[in-house]
Amino acid sequence: MKEIDARGLRCPQPIIELGKEVSFMHAGDQVMLHSDDPATEPDLVAWSRMTGNVFDKKSKDSFVITKLSER
Amino acid sequence: MVRVTGNFQSESPLHPKAFDVLHAAFDSGWADPAKLSQSGAKARQLKNNALESIASSLSVGVDSVVPISPASLGYYLGIQGLFADTPTLIHGATDRKDVFAIATKIPHNVLKSALDGKLIPENTTAKQSVLALQIANAETGVIQECDAIISSTQSERIFLDATTSGIRVPLSDQFSTALFDSKSWYGPAELGILIIKKPSQWSNPLPHLNAAHPNFDVSLPLLLASAVALENFTSEVKTADSQARKFNEQLRSAFSQVADADIAGPLESSLAHMLSVSFLNCNGEELIRALESDGYSVDSGSACTADNLQPSHVLAAMGVLTHGNIRITIHPGTTQAEIDGLIKSVVINVNRSRA
Repeated sequence: MKEIDARGLRCPQPIIELGKEVSFMHAGDQVMLHSDDPATEPDLVAWSRMTGNVFDKKSKDSFVITKLSER
Repeated sequence: MVRVTGNFQSESPLHPKAFDVLHAAFDSGWADPAKLSQSGAKARQLKNNALESIASSLSVGVDSVVPISPASLGYYLGIQGLFADTPTLIHGATDRKDVFAIATKIPHNVLKSALDGKLIPENTTAKQSVLALQIANAETGVIQECDAIISSTQSERIFLDATTSGIRVPLSDQFSTALFDSKSWYGPAELGILIIKKPSQWSNPLPHLNAAHPNFDVSLPLLLASAVALENFTSEVKTADSQARKFNEQLRSAFSQVADADIAGPLESSLAHMLSVSFLNCNGEELIRALESDGYSVDSGSACTADNLQPSHVLAAMGVLTHGNIRITIHPGTTQAEIDGLIKSVVINVNRSRA
């Protein structure tokens, strides 16, 4: 699984980096996002709703994102 | 070429009638209303007139009106004053930080928010718990269904936060204390009006010698200006809201055509003069600066614009995007040209930010 290390980056950069990576992925693919920005987790909730993808929190600063839609 | 400018921040200049009265109020309202001198008697008369005017505009008894300064002190007075022997608090996830600060010291239960910003009622039998309920949210303008929440919690001690809703939303019949902010009717800042509807449930939480009707020192000229602003805005609010709703519909319609825009709460259940929208992959601080350079001042709930770098707890609780956020307040006097210009500027700068 590919990993994005966005630790130290502030919002909206972690979500932008995630969006870039996800645009190259196919449905079912996963990516691990590492981010210590306090806005990342709430924004992943909204991002998932808006893009039709899902995420799973693995630790305080790590999230696994699964691409479900082809957008 | 004349540069179009628009103020869409939550703050605004005083109501013109309040501004007019301020000079005269400082001229005649400088004395201490508690003193027996002639000037004191005059000040006392002015204060009583102001309190009666405020009570009439808010449809409450004059004895229940307690002016306070600053307005934020009202959270402590209004909530802490209702605590019984074993204080517990029920409040919403989208409440102001002042309420969260009180909750940190006592057992509390937080009502979650749905995506539309409405609090999800929880059935409890906590009659002695204080229920702190925000009538309309300060960031999104979402209006709560107060009666349903009050009914589900069964709390008998209820604090209503009317600081944002002001006179735009009527108070529920069921409450013990309520807090208004003079700014909500374009009166002076830093002045609050605490309503103590059920004095038997309330005791002054501040150190005091006299347990009788609480009297907190406030600036008499500011109180007079606030009363004048309230009296005038009461007759203007319907027209102002009607115009604001029209502009709000235009803003929502335009922003919903921008890709990946996340509008917080539907207009049908929100204050007509407020709007919060977030744009995916946009930097809130850069967006605000770009709008400012085009002549439009707005607020933001994004972490990059906050002193503590924390995202808006309101947007987070709702599940709305916290970055790329702008908050727009439509004031009486906002023009169609300002709305058109703001829309154009937002669309251009969002696209530029994403490029």
